[in-house]
Amino acid sequence: MATVLEVEGVRKQFGGITAVDGVSFTVEEGEILGIIGPNGCGKSTLFNCILGQLAPTAGRIRLDGMDVTGMNPEQMNRRGVSRTFQLLQVFPELSVRENLILAGQEHQGTMLSRLFGARDAGLTAAADRMIGFFRLQHLADTRAGGLSYGQQKLLDAAMAFMAGPRLVLLDEPAGGVNLTMLGDLKERLKVMNAEAGATFVVIEHNMDFVMSLCTRVVVMAEGKVLAVGTPAEVRANPAVIEAYLGH
Amino acid sequence: MAEFLAYLIAGLATGAIYALAAIGFTLVWQTSQMINFAQGEFVMLPAILILAAVKLAGLPVWAAAILGIAAFIALFGWGFKLVIVDPMIRHGVLPLAIATMALSIIMKEGAKDGFTAEAQRFPSLVPQETVSFLGISISLQHIAIIIVACLAIGTLQWFVTRTKTGRQMQASAQNPNVALILGIPVAQMVMLTFLINAALAALASILISPIYLAKFSNGEVIGLFAFIAAIVGGFNQVRGALAGGLIVGVIDSLAAAYISTSYRLAVPLVLLVVIILIKPEGLFGRKEERGV
Repeated sequence: MATVLEVEGVRKQFGGITAVDGVSFTVEEGEILGIIGPNGCGKSTLFNCILGQLAPTAGRIRLDGMDVTGMNPEQMNRRGVSRTFQLLQVFPELSVRENLILAGQEHQGTMLSRLFGARDAGLTAAADRMIGFFRLQHLADTRAGGLSYGQQKLLDAAMAFMAGPRLVLLDEPAGGVNLTMLGDLKERLKVMNAEAGATFVVIEHNMDFVMSLCTRVVVMAEGKVLAVGTPAEVRANPAVIEAYLGH
Repeated sequence: MAEFLAYLIAGLATGAIYALAAIGFTLVWQTSQMINFAQGEFVMLPAILILAAVKLAGLPVWAAAILGIAAFIALFGWGFKLVIVDPMIRHGVLPLAIATMALSIIMKEGAKDGFTAEAQRFPSLVPQETVSFLGISISLQHIAIIIVACLAIGTLQWFVTRTKTGRQMQASAQNPNVALILGIPVAQMVMLTFLINAALAALASILISPIYLAKFSNGEVIGLFAFIAAIVGGFNQVRGALAGGLIVGVIDSLAAAYISTSYRLAVPLVLLVVIILIKPEGLFGRKEERGV
């Protein structure tokens, strides 16, 4: 298996506060890696550093062996890395389908085709396939702002898959989602992983969700990596129990 | 009845002008969360620039119109964003709003001192005649204004909702952070709304000036009514601004005819107060929540 993402000694300081402190791990192709840790342990900051929304203070990030440290989100997106957000980030006044078409990077074209081109038939079809995959057919023409929280989370995940990414970073996909929908989401992510070979990194608080979805788990505490291993190994690790599970 | 219909058509014509200005207002608001208090002067100035090119430079009217509109869009679309909006918006919305008030005074006094304080005749595209239709006498100019404004707004609506660039404009307005991550050129999209705003203002100027004459003070009422139209219709919707403009135009026209010409200015203000009291998001608007 090839290594898709390599995070090496990444540190991020905000003034005197060190949010991420020398984090290293790798993500192998086709795996679902979970990142867990208490609130404020630097998980989301780490995501922002990987995707280029923040520049790390120190350390390197490599994608397929190539140094991508300091690239902006758009460049990462073009290299097949996309993400979802902890707090909902959809375009509220556009329909579900239009949100997906936008996420499919329809802006890649000439100025003239962008200005006056009609809807791209290929993208519309891809959007409809994604709508079908996430079982949102009945909501395709509803404006995204009118969906329930859980439905918006599904849309958010669907948007992250529109550009056909190799690596998807999911930031608390289960947060605030009801149990039924959570089962749906987990099942869909597993299918996506098995069928499309997409690699995932998932930040999550919901332990059941992480333990049943992920093949490997990175445990973070106070900006550092505390343990790495399979869900069973991590669960048995005394340091992890002390720092996180024990609470 | 015939008289009522005549006032109604006159009101729809001026309302269409308010709608053009109000739509520009709302587009700029959606992408930049700024309110342009010089919007009325934006409608006043293009006609003055065109007349100045005719009278001071001796250009033929068509050449003056092309030159005047191009210069206006460059200065008050592109230049306005670059010189006033970009440096000021970093300091917050209020300093920027005050800067646009200053700009409105400069534009008004500049037009008065640089050109003339007298109202000037402005060439009309259609003959200044009235036709009789089912016993109602209708001004051809009013009909032309309604048709041209509707075509312009229809084209704009098609552009915003049916083209890729239009959808990217909406995305940039609704969630600039995610739009950036998706690689949408957000800065270009914001600039585009300023250019469209200037173009709508220029169109409104050419349509209204043959009727009201071109005068430095024309922007006062137009700016106020366009602002009221945008609030009445809902600040976050193009169709709201359109409806708001037409409603304000018709109410103004009927108030002047049936209530009192001296109080006509007050009637749209009463409408504004009523709307703010009972439906603050506007007739077509949607409540906005803003995070800090």
